[in-house]
Amino acid sequence: MLETYLPVLIFIVIGTAVGAAMIGLGFALSPNRPDSEKNSPYECGFEAFEDSRMKFDVRYYLVAILFIIFDLEIAFLFPWAVVLDQIGMVGFWAMMIFLGILVVGFIYEWKKGALEWE
Amino acid sequence: MDAVIALWTELPVVIQIVMKIVAIMLPLMLLVAYYTYAERKIIGYMQVRMGPNRVGFFGMRLWGLGQPIADAVKLMFKEIIIPTGASKTLFLIAPMLTIGPALAAWAVFPFDAGLVLADVNAGLLYILAMTSLGVYGVIIAGWASNSKYAFLGSIRSAAQIISYEIAMGFALVGVLVAAGSLNLGDIVNAQQGSVFHWFWLPLLPLFLVYFISGVAETNRAPFDVAEGESEIVAGFHVEYSGMTFAVFFLAEYANMILISALSALMFMGGWLSPLPQNWVDGVFLLDDGFQWLLLKTFAFMFLFLWFRATFPRYRYDQIMRLGWKVFIPITIVWIVVVSVMRVAEMPWWFN
Amino acid sequence: MSFEKFLFYVFAAILVFAAVMVITRKNPVHSALFLVLAFFNSAGLWMLAEAEFLAIALVLVYVGAVMVLFLFVVMMLDINIAELRAGFVRNAPVAILVAIAMVIELVIVVGPQRFGLDEVAAPAAKPAGYSNTEELGLALFTQHLYAFEIAAVILLVGIVAAIGLTMRRRPDTKSQDPSRQVTVKAKDRLRVIKMDAEEKA
Repeated sequence: MLETYLPVLIFIVIGTAVGAAMIGLGFALSPNRPDSEKNSPYECGFEAFEDSRMKFDVRYYLVAILFIIFDLEIAFLFPWAVVLDQIGMVGFWAMMIFLGILVVGFIYEWKKGALEWE
Repeated sequence: MDAVIALWTELPVVIQIVMKIVAIMLPLMLLVAYYTYAERKIIGYMQVRMGPNRVGFFGMRLWGLGQPIADAVKLMFKEIIIPTGASKTLFLIAPMLTIGPALAAWAVFPFDAGLVLADVNAGLLYILAMTSLGVYGVIIAGWASNSKYAFLGSIRSAAQIISYEIAMGFALVGVLVAAGSLNLGDIVNAQQGSVFHWFWLPLLPLFLVYFISGVAETNRAPFDVAEGESEIVAGFHVEYSGMTFAVFFLAEYANMILISALSALMFMGGWLSPLPQNWVDGVFLLDDGFQWLLLKTFAFMFLFLWFRATFPRYRYDQIMRLGWKVFIPITIVWIVVVSVMRVAEMPWWFN
Repeated sequence: MSFEKFLFYVFAAILVFAAVMVITRKNPVHSALFLVLAFFNSAGLWMLAEAEFLAIALVLVYVGAVMVLFLFVVMMLDINIAELRAGFVRNAPVAILVAIAMVIELVIVVGPQRFGLDEVAAPAAKPAGYSNTEELGLALFTQHLYAFEIAAVILLVGIVAAIGLTMRRRPDTKSQDPSRQVTVKAKDRLRVIKMDAEEKA
């Protein structure tokens, strides 16, 4: 089984290396004449003020947390879908209960307004 | 011919693999280059313009076919500006992290029956994992740039990408239930029969959800609030120039091609011929083969451009509502429907 | 040395390096990114142990989801590093004690006597058609059904807790509600008062 993953590993390495090589090529070919105006962060005609890495709405964290939970759910669904033919009705109903419990959670977050973006 | 084959088998395995990867990557890069040309040309005609038509080869205009090459050369010679206050290393790593997974996902992609670089069992899972890595480039680029526009764009974009990834993952689970295998080649083989055996019909809601999520996942119009030229200029890559920008650009188009190809593979029968099998058996170009996959992929790639020329941009709250409140319930319901069909052995769809 | 062994040492070396960087970097964002690298290399190690599904799921769930949240948090919370470092010297003796206790416990529980090929046999190389996912699914949905349902409940608790912790009604948002705007009547906003004209004194 491992030998089928060797090309995958090499592909990941080469894919990233292609990106690095292109950027390297860009540095090699392009001019480099920095000045303070050119290197200042983009703003609409005035000097940048404050730190640009600011606090933001807690809602984005909530999205990220909910994403983790649903991602885990997907990770559970994958092996289930593969063996659905072999585990029979017991396995089928087990997943239905699992999904049911999580749908309860989904309804809860919907009703609580966690999915509202005004 | 025999001598060539003998020479090939003599080569070390690693060299063979590298040559195969090059054989996948070069046409892909060429396709990306000409996809940008096609985009400008097609959207041009849709808006009653000509699109690029000046740059050709050897003094001939040739409908502007030299345009992508000229663009690439131009970008190569443009200065790479690293803004003051940026974290230099992360600023340069971000584009690499974007293009790496976009290319690496092709490792498990089957181009024809048996024609695949890595015939792994967990192919679909691998593809999902690779597409989930795309969000890193966006977050790191936005943070490392030390610019408010880039930062806002990256947060918006990241939240959008992860929201649609859930819908996408659920849609893939539906495909998996229908096919009963994670191997992409087996998924195509499970669709054999006729056009009505392809998964677009039994999985119609999931098919639509998958493709639309794919459009949202690649931050393309009408889901391009992350870019939103009119409000946050270009989003997370506003500070990028020259080749660093080009790498982001390449990755975006490579991802669009990947989504198109996967849609063709999982819902449109991949390399299977739409014509009845007894008509086309052994007939050149009409029989099952790579050309059908290519044709279907091009059709989906065209849809990306058509969307961009047609739809106005969604508002951010509308995007989030569509992802969470429409797509996720649809996919959950349809997973249950498909698995009931599967368990009840509905004869027609799943042979 | 076989190629697999070579890969093992490469992954393991990068993993240890990344783990050290996680706890020594001053910038929390860099630490989080080194943690991503660490997860990647653990995925490589799991793959070498023939655990195909778990290796990719590690990338999918930890790298693709959990670390995104970590990055969100460390990037966007203004963590004052100087403040965090102020208590370092004062707390150091207690911290060292705890660390030593942990190391001793770890050595007792998973010490060198429990490793080595005589303790844990190397997984047999599986044939190309072997599906790790299938085997995992068969075990999970037959023998471990109860644990699986418990996982659902834990995830549910996670959803509820996340919402309870982060949902705040923010009174200062300036969002508009068009349906309320168009239903406004003149008499809701405007009051016409009749009064006598005042004469200049």
